[in-house]
Amino acid sequence: MPSAIASGPVGAVVALMLLAAPSPLLAHGALLELAETRAVTVHAHYDTGAPMAAAQVAVFAPDDPATPWLTGRTDDDGRFTFVPDDRAGRWAVQARQAGHGAMGYITWGAAGPGEATVLATASPAAPDGLQRLVLAACVVWACISTALYLRRRRAEAGEAR
Amino acid sequence: MIRKRGLIFAAVGASVLVISGGAARAADGEIALFANGEDLATDGFVGQKRTRDGWELRFDHIFVTVDALAAHQTEPPFDAGAGGAPAAVVTVEFDTGGPVTLDLAAAGDDGRLLVAEAAAPEGHYNALTWSVVPAPGGDWAGDWAENWAGQSMVFIGTATKDGQTVPFTLTSDDTHAYACGEYVGDERKGFVTAGGAADLEITFHLDHVFGRADKPADDPMNLQARGFDAFAGGGPQAINLAGLHIGHVGEGHCAVSDR
Repeated sequence: MPSAIASGPVGAVVALMLLAAPSPLLAHGALLELAETRAVTVHAHYDTGAPMAAAQVAVFAPDDPATPWLTGRTDDDGRFTFVPDDRAGRWAVQARQAGHGAMGYITWGAAGPGEATVLATASPAAPDGLQRLVLAACVVWACISTALYLRRRRAEAGEAR
Repeated sequence: MIRKRGLIFAAVGASVLVISGGAARAADGEIALFANGEDLATDGFVGQKRTRDGWELRFDHIFVTVDALAAHQTEPPFDAGAGGAPAAVVTVEFDTGGPVTLDLAAAGDDGRLLVAEAAAPEGHYNALTWSVVPAPGGDWAGDWAENWAGQSMVFIGTATKDGQTVPFTLTSDDTHAYACGEYVGDERKGFVTAGGAADLEITFHLDHVFGRADKPADDPMNLQARGFDAFAGGGPQAINLAGLHIGHVGEGHCAVSDR
């Protein structure tokens, strides 16, 4: 038995100590709740392959496309991940670095990213597209999580039957 | 007045509403179109921002002549990197009465010059098309037309390096047609609401012409830029701008074709 509570007089003392313990101690308790979610990962890079590290990112929700819903920066690999809320429609993502920028768009459906489409715009940092900046809104993770979600739903439905 | 007119890039089909510049309708707003040569036009290539080959440039004038200006609502959003034609569902043509010559060096503190205004149906204008064309002659352009008719871009100024001072006039008669996606900058632009006003901007990145000393020498932009060494002899000279991506929408990309 990995844990037990003492019984008898000792147990009573322990119980009293627990009851008398100051409640603020409970504030040190840490609880984690893990859940799957759908997310969008943006990969911003130049067409030379160089990542747009630490690029400014702004995310715009479908119903307020002129106001950033979320801002942040890409990581060293040029990636930025966010979780849209339940507003369905076209989300826009902007990435900017050193005078070059691009917009990417993803249609986020209430039924899941199976409805998602991705369009990336590009900005060349040089003529002939030699340093074209590409912002790609990647939905791979979203598709995987949705597949898992749907599989779980099917399994639950099968158990219910 | 609603009319259809062939545009170089605009995908004008049966389902495309094309609005000429002065046509106001119910539930219309307005779009103001600006041009911006940024601080490299107004302040010049100075300090750390010298040309790729170390010249300081100060401009008296940067004349550029534009034509066929149009804003579009596209569906889906136009991917300038992929090229092709914007899938326009609404197009607003700016009625400028023909080519318009701007002096980017004469812009105000914000670097912007008003090019044209037009009534526009509500919606998000997320694409822009325009052309840089040779200037026609005529009184409208004053002395400039007399001297530089037939040129699409003219850079007039003074270059300095290592104590050498070189007055220059660089002329280009190249024609460039641009198709751009959404403006990219500090704020999103192009949202027209009923009775409201929006603005769009065509942005000229002059560092694509002369390069930048504060960028690595092997930066693709510097590799393509002309620099100024080739023009150190001063005076009037032709400059070939073909293949350079000078026109942008803020920091956003445009597809360009040269003729």
